[in-house]
Amino acid sequence: MNHPANNAISTVFESSSAKSALEFPKHARQLPAEPVTRIQPPRFWERIDFAELWAQREVLYFLMWRDLKVRYKQTILGALWVVLQPVLITAIFTIFLGKLMRVPSDGIPYPVFAYASLLLWTFVSNAILSSSYSLVANAQIITRVYFSRLLIPAATIGVRIVDLVIASFVLIALMLYYHVPLSWSMLMFPVFVVQIAALTFALGVLGASLNVRYRDVGTILPILLQAWMFLSPVVYSSSILPQRSRFLYSLNPLAGIIDGFRASLFNLPFQWLSIIIAAVVTLPLLILSILIFRRMESTFADEV
Amino acid sequence: MRPIIKVEKLGKRYYLGPRETVPPTLREAIKNSFGTKVKLISRPHGDRHPSVWALKDVSFEIRPGEVVGIIGSNGAGKSTLLRILARITRPTEGKADLFGHAGSLLGVGTGFHPDLTGRENIYLNGAILGMNRSEITRKFDEIVAFAQVEKFLDTPAKRYSSGMYLRLGFAIAAHLEPDILLLDEVLTIADASFQKKCLERVKIASEGGMTILFVSHNLSSVRQVCCRVFHFDSGGIQGEGKPEAVITNYLKQVSAEPTY
Repeated sequence: MNHPANNAISTVFESSSAKSALEFPKHARQLPAEPVTRIQPPRFWERIDFAELWAQREVLYFLMWRDLKVRYKQTILGALWVVLQPVLITAIFTIFLGKLMRVPSDGIPYPVFAYASLLLWTFVSNAILSSSYSLVANAQIITRVYFSRLLIPAATIGVRIVDLVIASFVLIALMLYYHVPLSWSMLMFPVFVVQIAALTFALGVLGASLNVRYRDVGTILPILLQAWMFLSPVVYSSSILPQRSRFLYSLNPLAGIIDGFRASLFNLPFQWLSIIIAAVVTLPLLILSILIFRRMESTFADEV
Repeated sequence: MRPIIKVEKLGKRYYLGPRETVPPTLREAIKNSFGTKVKLISRPHGDRHPSVWALKDVSFEIRPGEVVGIIGSNGAGKSTLLRILARITRPTEGKADLFGHAGSLLGVGTGFHPDLTGRENIYLNGAILGMNRSEITRKFDEIVAFAQVEKFLDTPAKRYSSGMYLRLGFAIAAHLEPDILLLDEVLTIADASFQKKCLERVKIASEGGMTILFVSHNLSSVRQVCCRVFHFDSGGIQGEGKPEAVITNYLKQVSAEPTY
């Protein structure tokens, strides 16, 4: 009888009522002194209800499960697409940038250099896009049943994290193939994965809440993402930039994260300044995005 | 006895016009939020858009175990009330306290995915409605039997007939065990025998102590299961009391309306 659409208070009530149900018929059950749910007009800033999110974690799981199940039904290659997408993009850039234009890649074979960053970029781009469309795509659910709406974009991003994990096996294979030596710096790579997940979550949640009101967002987003990719060291190394523009360049949090990720894999020197900037930008952005989402959440059902 | 639902001066305003509560374009929204900040906070929607109160000054209390019917013409505010209590939308003013877990069935088969099989949809829909996995597994056979879809469990829902779809959706919801159940018009599309089965289920649930709020245009089913009825009209409670009296009153009022 655990109904996730309720908050922490209800969980407390739940355990006590389960006990009393043994002794009394259900209708004689004591009502809780405090309301399980209090419904009021929205405040300007709503707090983030972590207890509720935790209570509803199974909804997150089932939304992710649904998306993973549904996505490759009626495809021939199925889940192989998760891997094929970054592989094919890497192949294209390897031919045009690696072979024809000979873009420098810090002395690392271009395919493995580019795959490492394109793996992250595919995640960022897919996750932000699908998250931004997620509320609109789940309009039927939003207008008919309540659970914390934050779980909807969170689930789409969660699905892309699963993709990221699967596609990273190809990275391991490529690193073995090109004999990338093991190094202590590799221990740093989870830091950058966490950072990029946080940054993506922030932007995905922001995109989702804005797209409910302004469908303009969904239209402009693919173009913005394209631009962002070229503003970040995805298919080239940031070492080709002149020293004086380094600081400006590293104001883009993705630059520090991708550089850091590659530096950890290939044992290159870490650019600490840009890594710190990335963290300093990401954290407030994450909090702000969730607050904006919470602020707009109360009207989703009326506007979606 | 203390009420399980306590509603005080609840109101909900909707804005009319092509865009409800928002500036028409992103550009205007950005301009607004930079230009006139104070105005934006104190009077977020301006007076440019005409508005309508779908619900106004509604107060009532419901005791545990009651089955309360809500009747009224289209646009009377019945569904708005249920949507607020189900937390789909927020009220503009007032307050509602629920002293128990609420489950809602405002549409059948919410979140059903056409590409998923019946079996998969039972889990998905059950989770969305608030059941956890072990609970669904425990009730799975019962749900399937209730919906009479044994043979189609591994068929994608998109090949279901609309009747099967509906039966499966209701069967899952019928196995929820909230303290408060909010039902909106869901039975009107089912055939007579399934409607009867569902009403029996509602009766059994209420005897078990569940509090049920039931919006319906089907006056005979309201008569059958409800112990108290609210008659809503233009966003407010017009009448309240024993089913027979309220329904008679409602019908009298409807027949008094001019026909065009």
